[in-house]
Amino acid sequence: MDHPRRRLPGELAFVLILLLFALTALWQAWRISGMSGWSTPGALPTLAALVMLLSGIKIAINTLRMPPPEVEPGRSLARDFLHQITPASIVLFTVLIVAYMFALEPLGFVASSFLFLVLAMFALGERRILRTLGISAVSLACIYIVFQTAFSVVLPEGILKGLLP
Amino acid sequence: MTEALSYFFMSWTDPYLLFLTAAGTFAGIYIGAIPGLSVTMAVSILISFTFKWHVNEALALIAGIYLGGVYGGSRSAILLNIPGAPAAIATALDGYPLAKRGEAGTAIGLTTVVSVFGGFIGIAALAVGAPVLSNLALLFAPRDYLMLAIWGLLLVGSLSGESLAKGLFAGALGVLIGMIGLDPMTAEGRFTYGIVELTGGIPYVAAMIGFFGVSEVLVQLHSLAITPVRQDVTKIIPSWALLKKYLPLSLRCSTIGVFIGALPGAGGDIAALMAYDHAKRTTKNPSRPFGEGAYEGIVAPETANNAAVPGEYIPMLTLGIPGDAVTAVIIGALYIHGLKPGPMLMIETPHLFWFCVGNLFLANCFLLPMGLSGIRIFAKIVETPKAILMPLILVLSAVGTYAIENNPTHIYWMLGFGVVGYFLKMYGYQVGPVILGIILGPLIDVSYRRAMISASDDPLQFLGEFFTSPVSIVLVAALAITVLSQTALWGRITGTGKRAGGYAES
Repeated sequence: MDHPRRRLPGELAFVLILLLFALTALWQAWRISGMSGWSTPGALPTLAALVMLLSGIKIAINTLRMPPPEVEPGRSLARDFLHQITPASIVLFTVLIVAYMFALEPLGFVASSFLFLVLAMFALGERRILRTLGISAVSLACIYIVFQTAFSVVLPEGILKGLLP
Repeated sequence: MTEALSYFFMSWTDPYLLFLTAAGTFAGIYIGAIPGLSVTMAVSILISFTFKWHVNEALALIAGIYLGGVYGGSRSAILLNIPGAPAAIATALDGYPLAKRGEAGTAIGLTTVVSVFGGFIGIAALAVGAPVLSNLALLFAPRDYLMLAIWGLLLVGSLSGESLAKGLFAGALGVLIGMIGLDPMTAEGRFTYGIVELTGGIPYVAAMIGFFGVSEVLVQLHSLAITPVRQDVTKIIPSWALLKKYLPLSLRCSTIGVFIGALPGAGGDIAALMAYDHAKRTTKNPSRPFGEGAYEGIVAPETANNAAVPGEYIPMLTLGIPGDAVTAVIIGALYIHGLKPGPMLMIETPHLFWFCVGNLFLANCFLLPMGLSGIRIFAKIVETPKAILMPLILVLSAVGTYAIENNPTHIYWMLGFGVVGYFLKMYGYQVGPVILGIILGPLIDVSYRRAMISASDDPLQFLGEFFTSPVSIVLVAALAITVLSQTALWGRITGTGKRAGGYAES
């Protein structure tokens, strides 16, 4: 690369995780057939894991050569990581997705999606509550109708069982 | 011949297919234009919804979205200076300066016409080239498929990412994910650890939606606050004189587009950048200097990226090898519908091929009127705040993933892959090679082992066989050139390709 960019906060740790993963994958792939032949079920997984390991080492070397991340005085690298890579909005959004996942079956598609949409839009900074409620309701109605008619997808009914067409 | 024609016109005469193609093209233009929505994302989500449909219906909708989406990216590139899709990155370089000069209407009109023109050239190449290639493909030995698949992975990994090493890592990761489950040749479990759910392999639609949908949504949350600046749009339909002037350039760039599109792994974004580079080098007297609103600078990439779409279909339909990320997803769809993309596809189901050709032709016809109208409403829709758009995409992703098998665990997979994809994207890895690897992994595995078995498990003989047939020698040469181009040579071409890496999507 002509102009190496600065290393991002957490990038080195991420490469190390990838390397560890590649090593584990190599070990696990090796366990499938070992060195019993060139056309065994374990041959390609072992090769793929080897490619991962080698390219991972190359990436690690490249990453080490990058200028280190700029850390403002008085701020730590960990804080910069939180700020740049996992800002609050993204963490919050991911937590909402997890909650939505678990609510999908017990609450049903319509109720859980409505809650998710309203909360997520609010979390992302859309503060006009009526607008949020309106958009969520209208778009959900559209999705629901399209799903039931065009795609004939069976959605979990949950607490609204029997109330919807 | 008459049979082929009747298949060709299938989507023209069936009102429902006609409607689906039109709806797809229309939706595609907006999906391509709205920054944050991508064709790959839309097609991955759609596959989960349309798996109960007849395969023709699903393909009609997808072809429309694909063609419309690749075109649609140019609109936001011109009007807002935000390429709606990676294939429109080159268009923004001259498109936005044109809009600032008050020529947005002419620019949109011109790009629409040349996009359609490029599309037709691409379709003609598909109709002529695919049957030839398909006949040739019958001569392919397993080792040739192995090389083609690896070549595709190398191309997508090297041209669009930050570095070849990162592309290789992503591709190998995909191949490894594709290996999970029962081995197709010996029915032995690989990476299954006695877990019943894993024996069927990773649900790859969940993986696609996770990598292309969820991770993209998370990345987009970084740029919630960017508000686009709107431009005035006047006269849209371009004059004949203007069109005639750029027809030769458009023709040359269509050729580039088809060729790059037909290469396994390299897609419309790379075609557009290469065409832009070509225009820059070969145009002696551009209408204005490049970068300041040269018409050549919008004609070249827009013709090339639309010509690349039918180009992508060539390896997909004849070899079962995806031309880019979208066709990788479409191949996934074909498998779900019980079809096996590859050289036998055109022999066993010739109607499917001619249907695809006719359908792309139809979608391309729709593109012209749809592209030349509705600009005003368009500006409103494109300005939908991401705070509203992103949660909606997530609901669609989650429900789409759930709908395939009514299985909530698929949503966990989706989210898991989404989070992994997010970190990969943040640190400059492409997720395209991962998906390509998942789709190509089983093909690579089976081809490699068949080739190895036919070389009686002897690695030296295995390597020697790569030089025994003309097809293999050509492929070895192509692979060697691709690897060589990553060293100091060919810096120019890779230099243009690398610029594509600035955008998070492949």
